[in-house]
Amino acid sequence: MWLDLALILIVCLGVVILGSSRLGTMIQLFAAQSLVLSATPLLVHPGKHAVVMTMGTLILKVFLMPNLLSWAIRHVSIRREVQPLVGYGKTLMLGGFLMGVAFWISFRLELPVRETSNLLVPCAFSVVMVGFLLLVSRFKAITQVIGYLVMENGIFLFALLLLEKTPLLVEMGILLDIFVGVLIMGIVVNHINQEFGSASTVNLTNLRD
Amino acid sequence: MELFLLAGFPALMAAVVFLLRQDRLRKIILFLTSLVHLFVTISFWQGPRDVQFNPFLGFDAASQLVLTLVSILFFVVSIYLIGYLKEKRRRSNGIFMGCLLCLLSTMTLVTMSRHMGLLWIAIASTTLLSAPLINYYRKPRGIEATWKYLLISSLGIALGLLGTLFLAISAAPVKTIFLADILDNAALLSPSWLKLSVIFLLVGYGTKMGLAPMHTWKPDAYGEAPAPVGALMSGAVTACAFLAVCRVAQICFHAGLQRFVSPIFILLGILSMGIAAIFIMGQKDFNRMLGYSSVEHMGILALGIGLGGGAVWASLFHAVNNAFAKGLIFLVSGNLYQGFRSKKVENIQGVIHRFPVTGIFLILGFIVLIGFPPFGIFYSELLILKEAVTAQRYLAAFFYVLFLSVIFFGYSGVILRMALGRPTEDTPVTAKKENFFMIAPLVILLGVLFFSGVFVPGPFYDLLDEASALLGGR
Repeated sequence: MWLDLALILIVCLGVVILGSSRLGTMIQLFAAQSLVLSATPLLVHPGKHAVVMTMGTLILKVFLMPNLLSWAIRHVSIRREVQPLVGYGKTLMLGGFLMGVAFWISFRLELPVRETSNLLVPCAFSVVMVGFLLLVSRFKAITQVIGYLVMENGIFLFALLLLEKTPLLVEMGILLDIFVGVLIMGIVVNHINQEFGSASTVNLTNLRD
Repeated sequence: MELFLLAGFPALMAAVVFLLRQDRLRKIILFLTSLVHLFVTISFWQGPRDVQFNPFLGFDAASQLVLTLVSILFFVVSIYLIGYLKEKRRRSNGIFMGCLLCLLSTMTLVTMSRHMGLLWIAIASTTLLSAPLINYYRKPRGIEATWKYLLISSLGIALGLLGTLFLAISAAPVKTIFLADILDNAALLSPSWLKLSVIFLLVGYGTKMGLAPMHTWKPDAYGEAPAPVGALMSGAVTACAFLAVCRVAQICFHAGLQRFVSPIFILLGILSMGIAAIFIMGQKDFNRMLGYSSVEHMGILALGIGLGGGAVWASLFHAVNNAFAKGLIFLVSGNLYQGFRSKKVENIQGVIHRFPVTGIFLILGFIVLIGFPPFGIFYSELLILKEAVTAQRYLAAFFYVLFLSVIFFGYSGVILRMALGRPTEDTPVTAKKENFFMIAPLVILLGVLFFSGVFVPGPFYDLLDEASALLGGR
C-alpha cells in the first residue's frame, strides 16, 4: 500500500519536473523525488541491506547532488529553460504516451522474480523514459544532468526487484559511480558557464563535420 | 600481491602523484608504476590461464589478452608523456597524471571483473576518469568535446546498467550474476529478459566502444584530446569496452542465443564501417579522421564477433593489432601537433621534409592501419572476409569490401598529401625539434606490432586460440 503510494508519487514528481522550466525548482523537485525514492528500499525489504541503501541514497541524492547542481549554476543569470527543443505541452503529452508504452511493455514481460508490487516495473520504466525525454529535449546543460539523474532514479527502482540478491558492495559502487559522474558533470557545467557565459549547450556547436 | 600491484598500486600512486609538487618526480612515478604493471602482467603469461583471486576478481584467456595490450600501451604512453608534458603550463599536471594512473587501475579492473555488476562499475569509472583527460587544455572546443563525451557515454552506461539489471532479473533462478555462475547455468536464464538485457548491454557497452550510431562523441573527443590520451582511449579503453561486449557475446553463446545476436552484431559492424567511410572522405582534421578510423575498426571487431567461427579469432587478433596501430598513429599525431601547432590537414604538409623520422612513422602507421600485407590488420581483415564468404553472408561481405576500399582511398589521399606534400612557407616559431621521447615510443610500438602481427610468438597464438574458444569461435 505505502509502496504503491511512493511509486505513484515518484512518477508524478517526474512528470512535474518534465513540465517545469525553472532550474532551481527542477533541482528541488529532483531532491523531493529522491527523498521518496530513498524510502522505497525499506518498504520493499526491511533489513540491514535496505537501511544502508536508504542512507546512501539520502546522503548522495537528496543532499549532495542537489547542492552540487545548485553550486554549478550559482552564477547563471538566466535561470530557466528559454527555448526547449520541444514545447512543454508537447513534451508532457509525449511523456504521457511513453508512460503508456511503459505500462504496456511491463504487462507483456513475465517476471521470473517475485514482485512486491505490480506497479514497480511499470513505474520504473516510466521514470526511465521521462528522464530520457528530459535529457534529449532540453538545451541547458543542467537540465540534461537532471534528466540523467531522473533516469538513474528509474534504474534504482528496477534494482529494488533484486535488492537482497545484489551484493551490497556492488550497489554502493554503483551509487558512488553515479555520484562521481554528477560531480564531474557539475564541474564541466561550471567550465561551460565560465567559458561561454551561459549554461546552455546551444553554444556548443564548434565541433562538427 | 599480484592483485595489489596490478589494480591497487596504480590508484595508490595516483594519490601520491596528486599530492606531489614536482613534475619531474611525477613523471618518474608514472613511468615506474607502468613498468611494474607491465612486469606483473607479463609474469602471468607463464602461469595457468585461469586464475581466481577472489569471487569478484580473476583471469581467463580473454582478460589476459586485453590486460597485456592495455599494459604495453600504457607503458609506451608513459614514456611519451615524459617528453610531451615538458611545455610550460599554468595549471599543475597533478590531476592529469592522477587520472591517468587511476585509469590504468580501472582498466585493469575491467579485465579482471568476474561479476557483471563490477564490470559495469569498472567501465563507468573508465568513462569518468577519461573525461578530465580530454579537457586537458581547457579550451572552449575541449570543453565542448568533454561535455558531449560525458553526456553520451553516461547515457550509454546508464543503459548498460539497465541491461545489467535485466540480466540479473533473467538470472533470478541462478541467484547471482557472477560470470561463472551465469555461464554454467545459462540454460536456466529467462529468455525474454535475457534478450532485452543483451540489447541494452550492447547499446550501453557499444556506446563506450564507439559503434555507430552511438559513435558521435568519438571524433569530437579524439579530435580535442591530447594525443597520448587519444592513444590510450582509442587503443586501451575501447579494448576494455570490447572485452565487455565479448562477455555479452560469451553469455549469448552459452545460452544458445547466437541466432538472435549475430545479426545485431553484423548490422552494428557494417553501419559503423559505413558511417566511418562517409566521414573519412574529405575529412579536414587529422585527429577527427583518426576518430572515424577508430569507429571503422570497432565496426570490424563487431562484425567479426557477429560472423562467428574463425572470425571471432580474427576479431580478437584485430583488437590487439588495432590497439597498437592506433597508439602509434595517435602518438605520431602528437608529434605533428607539437611540430605544426595545428590539427588541420591543410596546415600539415610535407612532414617528411620537416620532420623526417615522424614522417616515416606517419607512412608506416598508415600502412599498418589500412591493412597492408606484412602487418596483422591485413591478415585479420582478410580472415573476416573469408569467414563472411564461407558463411554465405554475401551482402555483409559486399559492404565490407566496399567500405574498406572507400576508407582506403579517403585515408591515402589525406595521409600521403600530409607526408609527401610541399611544406607550407609560414612555419610557426614555436615548433619543437624531434627528440628522443617523441621517437622512442614509436619505435617500441612498431616493434610490438611486428611481434603481434608478423612474427607472432607461439604463446600469443595459444592465448588467442583459448580466448576465441571462450566466445565460441575456432
